[in-house]
Amino acid sequence: MERAIERQRVLLQHLHPSSTYSSLENLDSSLSASICLAGDSAAYHRSSNFGDDVVIVAAYRTALCKSKRGGFKDTYPDDLLAPVLRALIEKTKLNPAEVGDIVVGTVLAPGSQRASECRMAAFYAGFPETVPVRTVNRQCSSGLQAVADVAAAIKAGFYDIGIGAGLESMTTNPMAWEGSVNPRVKTMVDAQNCLLPMGVTSENVAHRFGVTRQEQDQAAVESHRKAAAATASGKFKDEIIPVNTKIVDPKTGDEKPVTISVDDGIRPNTTAADLAKLKPVFKKDGTTTAGNSSQVSDGAGAVLLMKRSVAMQRGLPILGVFRTFAAVGVDPAIMGVGPAVAIPAAVKSAGLELDDIDLFEINEAFASQFEYCRKKLELDPEKINVNGGAMAIGHPLGATGARCVATLLHEMKRRGRDCRFGVVSMCIGTGMGAAAVFERGDSCDELCNARKIETNNLLSKDAR
Amino acid sequence: MPIFKTPFNGYAVKFSPFYEHRLAVATSQNFGILGNGRLHVLDLSPGGPITEFASFDTADGVYDISWSETHDSLIIAAVADGSVKLYDLALPITSNPIRSLQEHARETHSVDYNTVRKDSFLSSSWDDTIKLWTIDRPTSVRTFKEHTYCVYAAAWNPRHGDVFASASGDCTARIWDVREPGSTMILPAHEFEILSCDWNKYDDCIIATASVDKSIKVWDVRNYRMPIAVLNGHGYAVRKVKFSPHRGSVIASCSYDMTVCLWDYMVEDALIGRYDHHTEFAVGVDMSVLVEGLLASTGWDELVYVWQHGTDPRAP
Repeated sequence: MERAIERQRVLLQHLHPSSTYSSLENLDSSLSASICLAGDSAAYHRSSNFGDDVVIVAAYRTALCKSKRGGFKDTYPDDLLAPVLRALIEKTKLNPAEVGDIVVGTVLAPGSQRASECRMAAFYAGFPETVPVRTVNRQCSSGLQAVADVAAAIKAGFYDIGIGAGLESMTTNPMAWEGSVNPRVKTMVDAQNCLLPMGVTSENVAHRFGVTRQEQDQAAVESHRKAAAATASGKFKDEIIPVNTKIVDPKTGDEKPVTISVDDGIRPNTTAADLAKLKPVFKKDGTTTAGNSSQVSDGAGAVLLMKRSVAMQRGLPILGVFRTFAAVGVDPAIMGVGPAVAIPAAVKSAGLELDDIDLFEINEAFASQFEYCRKKLELDPEKINVNGGAMAIGHPLGATGARCVATLLHEMKRRGRDCRFGVVSMCIGTGMGAAAVFERGDSCDELCNARKIETNNLLSKDAR
Repeated sequence: MPIFKTPFNGYAVKFSPFYEHRLAVATSQNFGILGNGRLHVLDLSPGGPITEFASFDTADGVYDISWSETHDSLIIAAVADGSVKLYDLALPITSNPIRSLQEHARETHSVDYNTVRKDSFLSSSWDDTIKLWTIDRPTSVRTFKEHTYCVYAAAWNPRHGDVFASASGDCTARIWDVREPGSTMILPAHEFEILSCDWNKYDDCIIATASVDKSIKVWDVRNYRMPIAVLNGHGYAVRKVKFSPHRGSVIASCSYDMTVCLWDYMVEDALIGRYDHHTEFAVGVDMSVLVEGLLASTGWDELVYVWQHGTDPRAP
């Protein structure tokens, strides 16, 4: 340690001349060593990037469209997933055969059928037969779970490059229970609460923790306002992959080819007064309405992960580093409180404190639970869902996790080095929560202020 | 496009004298104050990214490197634990370093390979000494001890294989001849610490010194009462200075003000280029001997840039 202090002293002398001379009148002597003011907890090392870090080099999503009525109502689920998978390899110029696994989070569709559809989507996207595909279902956090699974597998050394994705067509697969319910469920409250409709759990949260209708409606208005502003300023263009598909006119039956590249659930003109007129859906004197709940949507997202050393070898930009992931369980009757438990768990295991997090993407399943989590964790509203959330953009269950990762990382990239850590979190039906911590990639800034060199003429012709 | 991210903070960058696409970078963890070091050997590819050819980890920060003038695979590194290490790229990582010369009592801050006799090299250290080494001997040939504070740099004269200059925190630059018992000239060049010096490649009597006083001074050693030129323009201490191998009057420098500057000391408006691409202290700069106008720099922002003079280092 003495040696370090001595080194610091020698280097500091370079900035702090020991004597002053009149010839150097403008010497700035105000420099001194100080404790780093960056705000990051000391436990977290500043330059903690290593070759075996799991990094994200690309994250894209489709637009999210209202189910049954929106842009993807006549699109097959595999046609939603294929464009984002293809975008990953096209934009990074990666050889698809090098991908070790594709993990797709998907919730509502029958398991085996969806697994087959995902495998087919990989073929449509141009992946060879040698690249395996599997699905994962952790309800609303399936997309995030898929990303976490891939990160874990890379850490474990199963492969170096993997894709975590999410897919949901709530048009094709509406929420439903198949078959009969085991009567034994009556014997156990927690099990029985797993059958509660999500809206009822939202009412429970609002009731138990006193989240008012006004607060909820206001949160929905904010979500729409921010999402509309982000769309208008073109922020989502970085992350949305346009999908060429068709729309069938319900009256005439005419098929029309379309390209969907904009979220169609956002209502820029939403006001609290409009929302106040809506009737509660789940309880007569309740507070949860269609306006302050997430939208039922179709969409897909995909995230390309690899070892940092592999990304650097290929000269790929590092969008972010996957730091930690945590899934937790909570009371199924108030499943929406999940993020309030999951976020501290993930942040703690990253060696950070909540104050260190610069940006949050917290899924707005319902305004009640979103508001509760925000207040419970005492988070700065300016840091959460800065580009709107599920109440405006939509919540295609399995895709949401991947969508949030794409939105978070692109926003962190835009914000530059000031924004170092970001968190994605969501509540999970049947009483759970999941959260993941991401760190910016440091060297990932796209330097757009520089003149472009037409041809790289650094080397002489002999070298080519 | 040619940007390379190093895990640690950059300390020095040097182009290979043998291959125009190859360069070596010295890096140190935690700004060189505490932790490990890593020596990177990088390859440029036409139109492509910079790729890593090899890297070697050290137990302490690497402050400087120098390529051998006789073997294309040999690199000498100045390590903060006081050692001077030799690396052979032709050998596997497990056989490297091929030599670790532990004589300096404090941080080794610079190394320079003799370009004339090509058989020896210098190391300068914060223990106030400079040591002369040859490739074949396990101990130093000579120790030059006259400076009274850290010696930040030692540079061979490009024409006389026995003559070198040194820059020290005792505010003097000294000229030495290895055949003489002591220094042949003491140059009280600045009123503050001198961090770097280099010889003009076309005039064996001209040296440049860079100082904490933010200036670079160019001297004729035959008449050292007045500098030939004083180059003002850096906002903080000038960390390294380097004469162009292609144009006699052109100098590159990098500074704690985070910029890399190019100067022509013969003309009135000496500053001919300023690059502010680094976001932390710029501490390493080099000019390619094999490609005219090709520059490389590194800094505490953990980035290595390679660019052609006149273009933007950050251009994609």
